[in-house]
Order: sequence, then C-alpha cells, then structure tokens
Amino acid sequence: MASSDAQPGARRPRPLSPHLSIYRLTITMAMSIAHRISGAALYVGVLMLAWFLIAASTDATTFGVFSGFIQSFIGRLVLFGFTWALFHHLIGGIRHIVWDSGYGLDAPLRDQAAWATLIGGFTLTIIVWGVGYAVR
Amino acid sequence: MSDHPSDLRTPLGRVRFLGSARMGTTDAWVVHLTSVALVPLTVGFVWLVLDLLRKDYNGVRAELGRPVPAILLLAFILAGIVHMELGARSIIVDYIGGQARAWALAANTLFAALLALACVYATLRIAFT
Repeated sequence: MASSDAQPGARRPRPLSPHLSIYRLTITMAMSIAHRISGAALYVGVLMLAWFLIAASTDATTFGVFSGFIQSFIGRLVLFGFTWALFHHLIGGIRHIVWDSGYGLDAPLRDQAAWATLIGGFTLTIIVWGVGYAVR
Repeated sequence: MSDHPSDLRTPLGRVRFLGSARMGTTDAWVVHLTSVALVPLTVGFVWLVLDLLRKDYNGVRAELGRPVPAILLLAFILAGIVHMELGARSIIVDYIGGQARAWALAANTLFAALLALACVYATLRIAFT
C-alpha cells in the first residue's frame, strides 16, 4: 500500500518557501490572493443559488422566505459581495488564461492586467447593481 | 543506494507511489476547460438574474421554464460546481496536511456533488412542473 511505503513520520519535513515573509507585496501577488479569496467566497455563495432554486421549485410561500432574505439589508450585502467575487474571479480567470497561453507576462503589462482585475471587478459590480436597481 | 542494507524491498518497491501517476495535468486541464466555459456562462447568468429581479414567483417560474434560460442555468451550475470543487481541492491540498486532508477532500467532493444534484433537481423541477 502507498501509505506504508511512504512512511510520512520518518521523513524530514519538506522545505517551505518563505514567500510571504520575505517578498515585498506586489499587485500581482495581492491579486493572486484575492483570486483565491473570491473563489472561496463563491464556493459559499453558491449555497444562495441553491436556496433560490429549491425555493422557486417548492411553492410561493417558500419562495417568499428567500425573497424576503435577499431583499433585506443583510441579503443585499451578501448578494453585493457575491457579485463582486463573481466579477473579480471572472476577470482574474481571463487574466490567468491569457498568462497561461504565454502572453502578457512582461513587466508593465502584467501589473496593468492585475490592476485591471481589481478596478474591473468593482466597476462591473457597480454597473450591474446600477442596472439592477434601474430595471426592477 | 539504500540507507538500510537490511531492507528486503526492491529498489522499485521503495519508489512506487512516490512519483507521477501521469494524471497530474487532468485536474488543471478541467479547471481551465470549465473556466473558459464559465466566461460566457457567467455573463448569461448575470443577464438572467437581472431579468429575474423584475419578476415575482410565477414570473420566475415561467422564465426558468423556458428552454434557453433553463439550459443556461444547468450549464452554469455544472461547469461552476466542477470548477469550484477542483479549486477548493487545490486550496485544501495547499493548506491542510495529514489525515485532515483526506477528510477535507472527501467533504469537498461530497458537498459539491450534493449541491450539484440539488441545483439540477430544482432547476428541472421548475422547468417540467
């Protein structure tokens, strides 16, 4: 078995990179962390989508409970956070796909792309909420 | 080569399970594949939500009963949940070790599977009832 062969207790601990403690914080680093945090937030946020769908599939009373929550201050705050996490992660994901294809990794462009992720995430969130309030 | 001359295991036996199983790129590929799919799907999902904001219970059900919104939603749910399950897996592997890692990985996969089933079931129920 793999577990008996590996003998984790007998091995020396693997060396760890002192990445966070020695490097100056750069915008690309900050956006890397923000990408992970927004991803984790979306993980929890999908529960809200599940609640919405289950409520809508049940009956009008159950849907009313969800509707009441999402229209409350807390509900709007959570939905606003979810919207930001969605757009930030979306733009960050596009940036990562471009980088993984080998483009945009040079000095000025990579920082501009990271800044664009930060600014674009907030901008799209505010635009979509503006549209949301305008159409409802 | 061996640190233990009395070790009866063969050199092959000592290194088995410690290296590549040639599956290392599968997860990364699926994360990228779903991320590409999720770019248009997220735009469509946000569009759908903005449309649903204006509607009451019956309006929401009527909208989600139409083929294009229902299929868009199902695609968004499936691609999104596969993507988030793999993303959470890499977070778990980065920060959690030992026995807890196995439990966290199992909890992640089971949670994602349950969430996907619940969302797909609810969407189909709205669409077909």
